[in-house]
Amino acid sequence: MDDWISLPLVGFPLIASVVLLAFVSNANQATRDRLASPIRMVCLVFSSLLLVVTTGMFFQYFGNVSWEGISFNSYEFDHRYLWIEALGIHWAVGMDALSFPMVWLTTFLLPVTIIATWNEKNGATYFPIVLAMGGALIGVFVSLDLFMFYVFWELTLIPMFFLILMWGGKDRRYASQKFFIYTFTASVIMLLGLITLYFFQDTSNPMIHAGTMTGRTFDIQTITSHALVENSNGNWYLGANIQKVLFVMLMLGFLVKLPAVPFHTWLPDAHVQAPTGGSMLLAGVMLKMGAYGMFRLPLSLFPHALQYFQLTLMIIGMISLVWGAIVCLGQTNLKKMVAYSSVSHMGVIVIGIATMQPMGWAAALFMMFAHGVISPMLFAVCGAFKHHYHSMEIGAMRGMAKHSPWLATSMMFAWMASLGLPLLAGFVAELMVLIALWYMIAAEGWSVLWMVGPALVLAITAAYYLWSMQRTIFEGGDETQPPASLHGEPVPDITDSEKLAMIILAVFTILFGVMPWIALDMMNDWTVQIFEGLILPILGNFNGGA
Amino acid sequence: MSELTVVEPFGDGFVAALGPELMLFAGLLVLILLPNLGRGTFRIPGTQIRLPWLLGGNRFKLTSDPRLPSWIATITLTAAFLNILYIFSEGLDRVAIMTESGKEILLVNGFSRVFELIFFGALALASFSSMNRLAVKGSGSKLSEHELYNNRRQGDFYILMITCALGMSVVALAQDLFVLFIGLELASFSTYVLVAFLKESKAGVESGMKYFIVGSVASGVGLYGLSMLYLWAGSLQFSVLATHFATSGTTALPLIGIGFVLVGFGFKVSAAPFHFAAPDAYAGASSPVAGVLATASKAMGMLGLIRMLLIVAAPESSDGSAVWLICFGALAAVTMTWGNLAALGSQNPKRMLAYSSVAHAGYMLAAITAIGAWNWDAAVAGDAGTAAVAVLTALLFHLVVLVAFKLGAFLVLSVLESEGGASSLSSLGGLAKREPLLAVSMFIFMISLAGVPPMAGFLSKLLVIMAIVRVAVGDMGSEIAAGGAFDVGDFHWVWWLALLMVVNSAISMFYYLRVVVVMFFDQPEEGREGPLPSGWQVRTAILLCVLTTVFVGVAGNGLLELCEMAANSLNYDW
Repeated sequence: MDDWISLPLVGFPLIASVVLLAFVSNANQATRDRLASPIRMVCLVFSSLLLVVTTGMFFQYFGNVSWEGISFNSYEFDHRYLWIEALGIHWAVGMDALSFPMVWLTTFLLPVTIIATWNEKNGATYFPIVLAMGGALIGVFVSLDLFMFYVFWELTLIPMFFLILMWGGKDRRYASQKFFIYTFTASVIMLLGLITLYFFQDTSNPMIHAGTMTGRTFDIQTITSHALVENSNGNWYLGANIQKVLFVMLMLGFLVKLPAVPFHTWLPDAHVQAPTGGSMLLAGVMLKMGAYGMFRLPLSLFPHALQYFQLTLMIIGMISLVWGAIVCLGQTNLKKMVAYSSVSHMGVIVIGIATMQPMGWAAALFMMFAHGVISPMLFAVCGAFKHHYHSMEIGAMRGMAKHSPWLATSMMFAWMASLGLPLLAGFVAELMVLIALWYMIAAEGWSVLWMVGPALVLAITAAYYLWSMQRTIFEGGDETQPPASLHGEPVPDITDSEKLAMIILAVFTILFGVMPWIALDMMNDWTVQIFEGLILPILGNFNGGA
Repeated sequence: MSELTVVEPFGDGFVAALGPELMLFAGLLVLILLPNLGRGTFRIPGTQIRLPWLLGGNRFKLTSDPRLPSWIATITLTAAFLNILYIFSEGLDRVAIMTESGKEILLVNGFSRVFELIFFGALALASFSSMNRLAVKGSGSKLSEHELYNNRRQGDFYILMITCALGMSVVALAQDLFVLFIGLELASFSTYVLVAFLKESKAGVESGMKYFIVGSVASGVGLYGLSMLYLWAGSLQFSVLATHFATSGTTALPLIGIGFVLVGFGFKVSAAPFHFAAPDAYAGASSPVAGVLATASKAMGMLGLIRMLLIVAAPESSDGSAVWLICFGALAAVTMTWGNLAALGSQNPKRMLAYSSVAHAGYMLAAITAIGAWNWDAAVAGDAGTAAVAVLTALLFHLVVLVAFKLGAFLVLSVLESEGGASSLSSLGGLAKREPLLAVSMFIFMISLAGVPPMAGFLSKLLVIMAIVRVAVGDMGSEIAAGGAFDVGDFHWVWWLALLMVVNSAISMFYYLRVVVVMFFDQPEEGREGPLPSGWQVRTAILLCVLTTVFVGVAGNGLLELCEMAANSLNYDW
């Protein structure tokens, strides 16, 4: 067997979770409680095996696959099986340096999430749903077929919807529906864009993988290779205006998922109401689906439209960055603050893309990865507050460091990592985006005023993170003030499993901060390949490239 | 495609050609006779001699079993269904039933057979799951008068199911508008009575009356249109009408006539503005019957629309689009939007499903509109026939899979109805705790209706949108490759129908999700905490629906090819 993706990474987690859920579905509550512990163990072992597989892929254990030097639009571990012949739909999987870090991240976060939420209630159904979430997420990242991509894209909604609805906070009913409908609306518009794109294929030349009924294919590799085709009159494969329409429709789906202001309003609700595990996966991987989708489809398919919308994207990115940060300042709920800080960080990704510099794109890719390691820790800390203090109100407690040093340390570490402390993962990405921005200003004559936003946000971010820490774990001297929601009970520290999860996350944050090249090299390589293979040939040497 | 065989009525090959229909007819006779068998005797007048006569009297234990009619109907319908599947697997013969004077009455081909698959499948599931709906105790002489009466009515219920199936199959086969009309009326009258079957309940009577009155007005208008068409063409044969339409189709008389005929079908598919009776009818009828209305009956109306619009009033090849194009585009837009907005506000799950069925009718009308627009611009339209086949395939596929998840949703409500009502959303409360598998099934039906992958509903909606976009974009891809430049303004306007359709799917998500939230989040209603009434038949039917929904969603290629074959066999003249 040499297909290491279809079944090991996508099929087995989904099948296992369906089997486990079917197994417990008709059991009564007592049996379910008894089964919770073994099922949790099964899920942990299963997700750890996924991590073993992806880590093995990194260390070239499965065949001599190097993640660098893959030319644009070719994929490793790729396999293609006929699915719906009439429409040209295949079960097509494969990974390149764009998707591999995301797949690894997903498999890394799954066991960590299970460890961090070890004592979640109704574990017999919770852990299989988390596992299903992981399978669906990996499915998104490995799809090389538009149909399959969309199927997994929507499939991720279902487990997350149930995680929020069944294990969420007080307003979970509202939040789960808003989450589902908001992202579903954006995705169906994206779907229409994908279908319109599908029919813009040249049927006069026989196409590989084409459907018997339509003469066209959903195969991403084939479609992407078409983006480079120029017709006899010098018009591009897609007319400029059609490119723009398709770009907008596709980007809408991805920007809502990311989310970027003004499409971000579902995120704070979903995050605040979601259980800790749901938040960790939502912030860690699910938001990255949006960024991944941008790179995989619109950016690889519509370079002209990208050039046209460069300024718009830059503005959207800046607004997300600044607005997200400013709103953070006013939050009194820790989790909501962290959620808005995610919006702000996602703005960095959009800015990185909008610079249209290889450096900026590599920075965006690394930001996806770094934020995927850091933000789960932020939400794990928030979850610990919720779980142990029953309160996430900033200012409702003082001097918690005295009572729970573990929680305070974790919080301090996560907060510092998120605000971009050097030697931690987040710093690298932010620094690179700033360099790319400076390059635009210096070499391409953009106004220096574009630096105002990021400069401002550096200060604001430090302010809200430090301020929230000061008002929860510090201050108070000898007179600490436990939150009123504890009703005078002794203040606990986090559990051992939570400590373990925090340690793992912290170690990897340091690892990718000190040695970013582990992931950054392949990302750099991917950007170089797409710029050499697509952007520069099509758009010409429009702005050099750093 | 095989050669067309011509058969005279009751001539050679007649029985072989109409196997499934005759099977139904035989089942109908058995259904009338068998439950009436008893120890009845016949006294020869003027003597004391009594001959055993077997009809009536004290019925035998077996024949008086109240479940017998249901079993007969289910087995008959299932046998007809399997027979068609067998015919498909063996390779289909095209057979035309013609009179001596050369008038084509019935035509057996892939197109009509796929529709019969829909009709028989839906009715078989409905009659199978109706078995659990009447509380039946004891049998034979042990029954009280009232119970006996109830049990006798069981027979009527299933007789109507089978006549309904017969009428629908006549509609599917008919090649003459008048024959089609007779089939339509046979099926309609059966459904009128089925809707009003719960005559003891106020809702049942009211809904039956409403449905009957509106339905008969629609039929009357349709009949009037028929007479105008006859006046114009001198025949109601589809082929004659089509040739006439090609020469003098755009004059007032045929257009008005066709318009009137379409009203009759519009009522059946519950297209706005002829949909007003539908929510009442669905809410008052028993759930399996409502499910039949939403699937089989709708497919029958859609079949009529396709025949009228695509065979008779075919899109003209010269100026590119059909006369009815604008009208149907507007109708599609209004229907889908109206249905979805009305569904948002309904708290009764059956009314909600009725409005969602209106919305689905809108999606299908949008697909028909796309066929009407197929060769709007000769430069980019590409091979027109294939585009039309793509749309028809999508339509057929949608109608087939609709049986699985629409009827399935009604069957879940049917279980709740036997418990004491499913007329408010809160009756679904806490279903996930009471019976998780049922709740998961309903969840699958709901997301399938909304069009979430990997369910069958997603694939069918995808196909419809793809078909519309295909028509709207045509072969621009090839034209661009050959050196042309195209702009967004070059899309045909039916593309906007596709956009409206995806926006509508997003709206519909609200009310489908609301059902899910109620099932998984809310507490059960007071007094309904316990387990649901048993009944393995309805649960088996639901399970079949779930399996079909998921299976077709994941591996739809076989069904897709079947539908494509059927779409190809519709003989278009353009």
